[in-house]
Amino acid sequence: MLTRTDSERCYHCGEPVPPGTYFSAEIGGEARPMCCPGCQAVARLIAGSGLDSFYRLRTEPNDTAPPLPASNLYLAYDDPANTADFVTELEGELQRAQLLLGGISCAACTWLIEKALLANPAVRAANVNLSQQSLLVEFDRRRLPVSELFQLLLALGYDPHPWQLSESARLIETEQRAALRELAVAGLAMMQVGMFGIALHAGDIQGIALEYRSLMRWVSLLIASVVVFYSARSFFHNAWNNLRFGRLVMDVPVALAIGLAYVASAWATVRNDGEVYFDSIAMFTFFLLLGRYLERQVRRREYLRQTDLQSLLPVASLRREGDGWQTVATRSIRAGDELLLRAGDTIPADGVMLDGGGAVDEAAFTGEHLPRSIGPGEQVSAGTVLREGGGSMRVECDAASSRLATMLSMLTRAGDKPALARLADRVAARFVGVVLLVAAIVAAYWLQTDPSRALWITLSVLVVSCPCALALATPAALTAATAHLRRRGLLLVGEDSLEALLRCRRVIFDKTGTLTRGELRRRETRVAGELTEAEALALAAALEQQGRHPIAQAFADITPATGLQQVDVVAGRGIRGWLAGRQLAIGSPAFVAETCPQLPDPPQSPGHWIALADQQGPLAWFALEDSPRGDAAQTVQALKQRGLAVELLTGDPSDAGPELAAQLDLDAVRIGASPQDKLDHIRSLQAAGHPVAMVGDGLNDAPVLAAADCAFAVNQATDLAKSQADAILLGSSLGPLDDAFGMAVRCRKIIRQNMGWALAYNGLAVPLAAAGWVPPWAAAVGMSASSLLVVLNSLRLK
Amino acid sequence: MDSLYILIPIAVVFCAVAIKLLLWAIDSGQYEDLDKEAWRILMDEEDTRPRERDQQD
Repeated sequence: MLTRTDSERCYHCGEPVPPGTYFSAEIGGEARPMCCPGCQAVARLIAGSGLDSFYRLRTEPNDTAPPLPASNLYLAYDDPANTADFVTELEGELQRAQLLLGGISCAACTWLIEKALLANPAVRAANVNLSQQSLLVEFDRRRLPVSELFQLLLALGYDPHPWQLSESARLIETEQRAALRELAVAGLAMMQVGMFGIALHAGDIQGIALEYRSLMRWVSLLIASVVVFYSARSFFHNAWNNLRFGRLVMDVPVALAIGLAYVASAWATVRNDGEVYFDSIAMFTFFLLLGRYLERQVRRREYLRQTDLQSLLPVASLRREGDGWQTVATRSIRAGDELLLRAGDTIPADGVMLDGGGAVDEAAFTGEHLPRSIGPGEQVSAGTVLREGGGSMRVECDAASSRLATMLSMLTRAGDKPALARLADRVAARFVGVVLLVAAIVAAYWLQTDPSRALWITLSVLVVSCPCALALATPAALTAATAHLRRRGLLLVGEDSLEALLRCRRVIFDKTGTLTRGELRRRETRVAGELTEAEALALAAALEQQGRHPIAQAFADITPATGLQQVDVVAGRGIRGWLAGRQLAIGSPAFVAETCPQLPDPPQSPGHWIALADQQGPLAWFALEDSPRGDAAQTVQALKQRGLAVELLTGDPSDAGPELAAQLDLDAVRIGASPQDKLDHIRSLQAAGHPVAMVGDGLNDAPVLAAADCAFAVNQATDLAKSQADAILLGSSLGPLDDAFGMAVRCRKIIRQNMGWALAYNGLAVPLAAAGWVPPWAAAVGMSASSLLVVLNSLRLK
Repeated sequence: MDSLYILIPIAVVFCAVAIKLLLWAIDSGQYEDLDKEAWRILMDEEDTRPRERDQQD
């Protein structure tokens, strides 16, 4: 048998291998340790298909693989009526499916998925998009049913979901493509105009025949026209739209500069005198478009994953039709329908249980990670998950009025963030005023002294004061900061998140799944009978292995005792079974007392206690708890050292909250809060003048994340929570949170330096231009150099 | 220097062709996933090796 050290990590997902387990897979001719049966199955499949070079190519460890379900959960997708949203018919026998894949961590994953799918003869094409984590696959559903396609992806360790591009996401895709087209045109035109620009500047210095100067000016005018009227039109649009409402934003001086420089240069070309600035126009437009394109590119990925109501519910459900059950599309369910629920199902509608029962996981609404036991007559909500048991329910309201829909509509109401006047726009407003004032004074002065030079000198003042560097100061710094944080494991989505972060003096954490790992672990074992701790654990593991309750996870690292018979899983309460001639029971004290009437009260120390007993008496007590993330304490300390107040806000009403707060030394704690309570709390803090940063994961956190001044979602968060967040933690560590606060401070410093430089440059150049002393080549070089300096200064943000 | 009257229009035509090509590439989706493209060349090379080995066996 293999011997293992504690420090050993799973070769597939990089998680520590639990002591006492012996999962392994042969990869590259060597037996590699695996942490769980899920990873083992995936790794063996990959190696068995001859794809094990995947492990050499990948740059990130995979997600821990979920254990494969015993039955195919996706059978409903075999009915074309249920897949109309994401499977389209192609010519011939082929169909194309659009899927989102959970668990893609690096480029090697795309290679693995494509190779594994193409190995199937029914698949003609497979294309994984790494930045969107999506898959387009063309296949023949008669030879490869959709359910088997899903099962195949699941077996590789990726979690497939049907992908329906929402209307807004489609719009963003079109916009992004248009932005890239504008950028490409500006870039190529910039090179071309720049080439003529160098010739013209050289001509200004050493002399050039008027005829050739005129030729080059006309060609430059032609190309620059394409830039101004095609690439730069969005600046004019934005400037005009804002001006109409009396707002002076950065786009106003930008549009003014581009427009004036273009008109002045075109006039000079026609008259064949004066100065032309076509090269500056093209370069300025290109750099500004580049900054905006990169900024939007970062946000695009998350927008694409925005969730709507339908995608939170199962695609198909079982509805009673006469005497039998019929698979129907969830969206056709109406109030009064009777539905069949099985263990593992997401409940498709709000309603009441008719018969059966089980344990329902309502973490989406309450944040409580222990499932609630339900029986006939009890309410169940759409979007919650039936972990154990089964039965039938009657639908009481249509999807549009379900609790889930109400929560989603709360989101739209919470979505209006506190308005943030960006530093750049505030500066822009004053800047435009000053420039126009100076230009007016200069024009008035020269009209008095030398009217023939007045027009050219006024124009040169306006062009020289072109706020290239000023306009680039903020986006360049933000782009550099975003890129750096992404490498550290934090994806910034909102454009204002860094600025918002600076104002936050309070960080509020959700508990389950955010500060904690969101899974139960054994905290304490107390032996009550004649068994040793190891024997008691082996018995408990054997029983728990039979259930699907999250408690079973806490015993997954124990080698179970063998020989268990006549197992009876009572959903939401516990498990009974016979082993070596005695009846054992594990579960809640009330449940175990049915087998062992003399069971004493559970120990009084904190934690969630479950009992193991036989008919003669108690055998052991286990305290379970959700443990904090590895670096939670460290991150909280680091945040407190920055002078931030750290608070815990949780829907869990148990004493686990205060206990965790004490353990991590938090400043405040609030428990048992409903999503509405959470929202009210944040609102009241904001009303009292305390901007808040919120860190959360669950569906129930989504409205709060939307309302917070700056919102973070952890990596395992629901798509809905992620879509409301300004930043997403990419790994399992909370450390990047602290990096983000540090980066916000440094980023502000760099932005101020950039602005200081840009304003100083303009402050120096404008008086010189006003005096008529700035030759055009010096203006062009000065403008480019100051922009370059701003970009280089921003790159120091590493 | 009169050659400029031919050379400059030629340069402009080349520029137009380059823009056209780039726009075509953008529209056909070649810039959709830049994260993956950087890796693809390495992946394909790795891919051929096991296959060659299989043939020798």
